[in-house]
Amino acid sequence: MVKAYFGLQYQMLHRKFRDAQFNPWLAYLIIAIAFVGFSLLLFSKTTFAPYIYILTAFAFIGNLSASHRTEFLEICYGKWQMQKIRMLENLICSIPFFTFLLYQQYYLAGGILLLLTVILALINFRTTLSFTIWTPFSKRPYEFSTGFRNTFYLFFAAYTLCLIAVTTQNFNLGAFAMFLVFATTWTYYLKPENEYYVWNFSQKPKAFLWGKFRTAMLYSASLAMPLAIVLSIYFPENIYLLLLFFALGWAFLMFMMVNKYSAYPKEINLFQGILIVVSFWFPPMLVVLIPFLFSRSQNHLSSLLK
Amino acid sequence: MITIRNLSKYFGTKEVLKSINMEFYKGKVYGIVGENGAGKTTLFRCIAGLESYEGEIITHPTPIKEHLGLLLAEPFFFQKITGKEYIRLLCNARKVNIPNIEARNIFDLPLHQYASTYSTGMKKKLALTAILLQGNDFYILDEPFNGVDIQSNLVITEIIHQLKALNKTVIISSHIFSTLSITCDEIHMISQGRFVKSVHQKEFAALEKEMKRTLIGNKIEKLGLT
Repeated sequence: MVKAYFGLQYQMLHRKFRDAQFNPWLAYLIIAIAFVGFSLLLFSKTTFAPYIYILTAFAFIGNLSASHRTEFLEICYGKWQMQKIRMLENLICSIPFFTFLLYQQYYLAGGILLLLTVILALINFRTTLSFTIWTPFSKRPYEFSTGFRNTFYLFFAAYTLCLIAVTTQNFNLGAFAMFLVFATTWTYYLKPENEYYVWNFSQKPKAFLWGKFRTAMLYSASLAMPLAIVLSIYFPENIYLLLLFFALGWAFLMFMMVNKYSAYPKEINLFQGILIVVSFWFPPMLVVLIPFLFSRSQNHLSSLLK
Repeated sequence: MITIRNLSKYFGTKEVLKSINMEFYKGKVYGIVGENGAGKTTLFRCIAGLESYEGEIITHPTPIKEHLGLLLAEPFFFQKITGKEYIRLLCNARKVNIPNIEARNIFDLPLHQYASTYSTGMKKKLALTAILLQGNDFYILDEPFNGVDIQSNLVITEIIHQLKALNKTVIISSHIFSTLSITCDEIHMISQGRFVKSVHQKEFAALEKEMKRTLIGNKIEKLGLT
């Protein structure tokens, strides 16, 4: 029974990669390289890496503990088998994080992660909370209002890192906090919305995209500005670097948005994925990529925004 | 006014709408009936411009999508969007500013809760409220009465009467005949992608009888209920 469940998950995952025009094995390789790369970068930049690492793993594994998911598994397989599946799922997902923590000789952090993995397998999270998380972005839904509710804890983490950066006089950590804020907002533009939400706009594609970008600039600035102000007060010598980060943050925000709509209404595929990698590897490419994808987005939106 | 001429729609090689001709006038309420898969929703999506098609759909004013309130049979909601934000999103999209959304909440919906936590009927009422507040000239309501409680059914019926009085064009699909017979000026029956019958108010009762006879036939007897 458990074997059949994981066989099905394996098939579904491969189907998802193939739908996005990725060879599943190539996708695994890219994910593994990206994971090791980001982990090495994180651990080289800050001593708080184990905490950020555990938090990230926690968020990742926590998604699997959603109550509707656990209930469904229990209905299908019974309580005992469900707990076995949940335990195995959590272990599989935490293995990369656990292994890297051991490699970095953070044995205590590894132990905590393992303990969390087991505890999370035995409890359910209600993902449909009975209370509504407040958001400062409800005037112009939906990307930032819904995105903020999903990721607000990352902003708390970023602001905490910024305070630590100031107290330890570590500008790099502060810069990482700013990166975290912008990177979080970029993720709001990964998934395409239902076409009904685009269709409703009484705008032409160009005006639609600019309108979305204006909102994104304003809202991302309101999240990143406190960090930029604090960092520019305590590290005035790096003010130009902060301005550059801000400009890059906005440029990537625009890029992620037009990248999404250039594939719309489909999800981003292999082509868009490659462009993301290329742009992160060599950001000056954005100067060419943004206008190119903007034009493609206009074409893709034109059938809905006549 | 909406004029449809020789409208055809293919999904692959399958023709789901077959040379449809129809006119929808201002200040009238039209009912569209038909079995599941007859082509009602596809027709609505074509009128709205959500689907490409062969033939012509002429509207005044144009483009229709800027003046059309489309209630989908199964409205889609983001995971963590509140009822109020949903209304605001749809109104912002049409550049309509509603200063006090709560005051216009005639279905008493919990607007500060996530829409995804709403029941089926509440979701429908929220989606309906949003398109009504957009202030459209045309309304396409795909199954507006589905899953909605009896009190709200009465309210929706009154809303449709009010829209007619305001000279709006309303097109409704429903599987509940009585909801159409009390709201519509005309009912059009669609079958296998074609309009097969159109009737005015005074013939509604005869149409219902005919539908019962042709659709139900002796199917119940086949069950052999004892």
